[in-house]
Amino acid sequence: MSERGHIPESRQREKPRADLKWIGKSMKRVEDPRLLVGKGVYTDDVNLPEMAHAAVLRSPHAHARIVSIDVSKAAALPGVLCVMTGADAAAVCDPLPTWASPPVLQPAIAHERVRHVGEAVAAVAAEDRYIAEDACELIEVEYAPLPPVVDPEEALASTGDAVLHPDRGDTNIALERKLTFGPVEEDFAAADLVIERRFRWPRSGGQPLETVGAVASYDEGSGRFTIQCNTSMYNYCGWMIADTLRVAPHKLNIVPTLAGGSFGSKMFVHKVPIIAAALARAAGQPVKFMEDRIDNTTSCDNHASDRVYYAKLALKRDGTLLSLKTRIIDDYGAYFQFGVGQHGNALSQCVGPYRINSVEVDLAAVLTNKCQQGAYRGFGSEVANFVIERLVDAAADELGMDRIALRRQNFIQPDQFPYLIPTGNMYDSGNYQAVLDETLKLADVEHWRAKQAEARAEGRHIGIGIATCQERSVFSATEFWMWNLEPGVEWTSSPDGVSVKIDPTGKAFVTLHSPFWGNSPETVAAQVLAEQLTIDPADIEITYSDTDQGLNSTGPGGSRFTVMVTGAIVGAAGKIREKLLRIAAHLMEADVRDLALEDGAVHVKGVPDMKMSIAELADKAHYYRLSMPDDLDLTSGLDATYVYDHPVTTLPDADERHMGIFYPIMGHSCHIPVVEVDIETGQVHFLHYAAVHDCGTMVNPMTLEGHIRGGTVNGIGTALFEEFRYDEAGQLTTALWTDYLIPTIKESPADIVVGHVETPSPFTEYGVKGGGEGGRMGGPPAIAAAIEDALKPLGVTIDSLPLLPSRLRALIREAQAKQA
Amino acid sequence: MKPPRFRYLRAESVDGALRALADNPDSRPLAGGQSLIAMMNLRLVRPACLVDINRVAGLGYIREDGDGVAIGALTRHNDVKHSDLVRARCPLLTEAYESIAHHTVRNRGTLGGNLCHADPSSETPAVMVAVGATLVLQSVGGRREVAAEDFFQGPYETAARQDELLVEIRLPGRGAEGWAFAEVSNRHGDFAIAVIATTLRLADGRCEAARVVASAVGEHAARLRPAEDALTGGAIDDAAIERAAEAAAGAVDPHSDSHADAVYRRDAVAALTRRTLRRAAERCG
Repeated sequence: MSERGHIPESRQREKPRADLKWIGKSMKRVEDPRLLVGKGVYTDDVNLPEMAHAAVLRSPHAHARIVSIDVSKAAALPGVLCVMTGADAAAVCDPLPTWASPPVLQPAIAHERVRHVGEAVAAVAAEDRYIAEDACELIEVEYAPLPPVVDPEEALASTGDAVLHPDRGDTNIALERKLTFGPVEEDFAAADLVIERRFRWPRSGGQPLETVGAVASYDEGSGRFTIQCNTSMYNYCGWMIADTLRVAPHKLNIVPTLAGGSFGSKMFVHKVPIIAAALARAAGQPVKFMEDRIDNTTSCDNHASDRVYYAKLALKRDGTLLSLKTRIIDDYGAYFQFGVGQHGNALSQCVGPYRINSVEVDLAAVLTNKCQQGAYRGFGSEVANFVIERLVDAAADELGMDRIALRRQNFIQPDQFPYLIPTGNMYDSGNYQAVLDETLKLADVEHWRAKQAEARAEGRHIGIGIATCQERSVFSATEFWMWNLEPGVEWTSSPDGVSVKIDPTGKAFVTLHSPFWGNSPETVAAQVLAEQLTIDPADIEITYSDTDQGLNSTGPGGSRFTVMVTGAIVGAAGKIREKLLRIAAHLMEADVRDLALEDGAVHVKGVPDMKMSIAELADKAHYYRLSMPDDLDLTSGLDATYVYDHPVTTLPDADERHMGIFYPIMGHSCHIPVVEVDIETGQVHFLHYAAVHDCGTMVNPMTLEGHIRGGTVNGIGTALFEEFRYDEAGQLTTALWTDYLIPTIKESPADIVVGHVETPSPFTEYGVKGGGEGGRMGGPPAIAAAIEDALKPLGVTIDSLPLLPSRLRALIREAQAKQA
Repeated sequence: MKPPRFRYLRAESVDGALRALADNPDSRPLAGGQSLIAMMNLRLVRPACLVDINRVAGLGYIREDGDGVAIGALTRHNDVKHSDLVRARCPLLTEAYESIAHHTVRNRGTLGGNLCHADPSSETPAVMVAVGATLVLQSVGGRREVAAEDFFQGPYETAARQDELLVEIRLPGRGAEGWAFAEVSNRHGDFAIAVIATTLRLADGRCEAARVVASAVGEHAARLRPAEDALTGGAIDDAAIERAAEAAAGAVDPHSDSHADAVYRRDAVAALTRRTLRRAAERCG
């Protein structure tokens, strides 16, 4: 074993190959017809008899003690069924689930103290939502304000009343650690040049059209809860919800509804279903609780990375990159549900596509009076991409080198894969040169350089940016706990399961154990099973299991779904194929080794007339047990389940020399945007945008391109518009979509020219890699670079986002003042 | 996000609407509802009673009015935006519509409702002031006409009394006037960060009359008289435009919010004044 760990053998069964019929086809999404005509069932579409509606009273203060709370007027309002305060909730619920160790306790409803604006102070169940909101206004709360903590760097020094969780000690630092991988000091000592920059990555978050919601009911007879909810991970850690509600896990069934555009923000929903369930039990009626937009933006538990970086990149005068040191202050908000899982994630690709010999990460996670962090497209790695790409640009500028040439010089070479980076994570495969070359071709950089020169002569500002970014996929749960100070939840499995059944007529049924959350789970499952069983995707029906029926499934997130469900279907279909062949061998009196499954039938090789269709064989399998050999492998039916484990994970080194392999299925992308900046107004317009991604073997190029284009616009949002901005008092000034600015078609490039390179993974079935997050991982650094390039005559440097026109104009104004 | 309890009355005629407004002192007319309903859902406004005028016949029209245009107050934004008559006689309004809201909002929202809502960052008030529009108000007591310049009085405040309904908007003919509208907003269709609407009339190469009207940088849409004064009587050349732009920036006292700071807004007023004056000058005659 080396300093960086070891690489296990591949367990790949299905090699990538050219003669696939369904995998690689731009098949229309199976999900679309019902969704597009409004016939999908989202949580808010669920209505049960006698169902009550909940609303919460939100804290108007960022930080305060709750001195008293009087719900009598609210409880007396006609139509109100139940009012629950933090004290009431604490009597029936434990703190919410957490992966942090030591934990930071979060109540479902604030008790004694509020820690961010929008935190629920009380919940009401009423006959309708109008009455519930009227009742919230009648709750009288006396607060004693405490000092709001808003600035993450100031939070490092908080003491006394400014400490959010005094039970944890007199500090707002939730975790502070320095990890060193490789000979950092030696590499810095050997450097000719050190690039130093401070970066500021803004707090943003997923913006689902349907907010988080739950419809909960409690059956007093059986003592069981049923919760319909737009969450994921219910078949991974849904039992934690039962724990919090203080019932045994088998006394709670979570039924998934369509979860829609989560982008991570519904990865593990806990607070909303727990409030709904607690109210349902108290009210004796089913309760629907849908967050409204302000509940979601202020209290969704899924704000994203909010980081300050002090970054140093050591390199040689000839451009050889040596080492990366970062001091990071990350503003986690008021609670700490995943610990610093987002920094576990970022360790997966913090050196980018480059040969960098050593890495030091010095992290302080601070608690502030804001909504807590959770999951959002990139889960912290998108920030690492921004940092390394900005540093490489700065290094090129400092050396007077071309930004593209410096990248090319430092790329990991195609023959170096699988490649272990200093943190221990593995890059399974890649061809970064090929991706770069393809993007340069699509971007027509020479043409735009000429346009740029013409424009500059006219006093206009056109810029061309480039980012060459990693796009890690298929997380392992170790990322959630590798930074923890104390042992806690230290799971090492992160599998996904599937159930497949062929009915007596030959139709196939797939049960997925994780939800639809805006991706294409049914399309993927249909394509892969069709490939495996040589059947038509139209003959496959897809459903979703609840937790009663569920198999261990980590669910979508970390761009893992396609790889994991492909693996699970390959496993389950293999079992079914084997049984089909055995039955066929018996019925056709042939040797199994002489049989092959093709075009939906088992054939005797070389004998064209000797075949039986899957439908015929399924009929026999279900109804003709007594006509079969007395073989225990031929029991009635034709079904299989398979739980597919993470394709390649290793554990962190006990001495933390490395963190093991935890995010190895490594995609790559290159983005080249061309922008024009109006220097009088600070507005940015896209003139062209090229993005090439390598996500290994493509299952469905059309849906992948949707991910890339949508993700790129998502990245435009992060780069130019979106921010959860808190003022000095801790008020969220962008709580509504009139103020939290999501880019629309008008702010997007007219076309995002998408290209592909396919470097199959040697570790996954068919060589598939995930591609769900790459657009947002590549867009921001590329756009920042393009804007910087446009403003080169003014000498503007970009190191913080988002670049709203007013922010960019301020940078331009400063630069103009300096030049004058 | 549900409103508190309110009474809902649906008027079938202008008279009925006027009576309902007079009989219910805490009532407000409901037109397109694109701003009012959202504000009610946020519980920012709490009218006790809404008088829905959507079914009132005869309030949705665009017709010739001398050499100008008369627009019924209930006319939907998209009808105004796509009107050839408006384009011919008040092209400043047509140009402004390129920056106003989104298609679905414009399908439902009305010009009259938009003006009466008097959002300080709204575009249409600036156009009304720039072209010298007249707003016709009616109550059970009768009709009166108010110049647009006098109509907008503060954030969400107009000269219309609670019992009055805006029934018609009269836009004068353009004559040989040049015009231009420009806006900055963070995203297309958002409420503006700064708006400048300009009209210019030249005689023998000299500026006979100019209006430079700003929105989103003060309490309501208003003429920037120092900028107008910098133009009137002289030639519209680069130097005059620059003087007017500086005067415009000096004449506003903008606020800061999450969309933009005051310095940015002031810079934007200068830039937009420059741009609109150049275009307006080209369009004279």
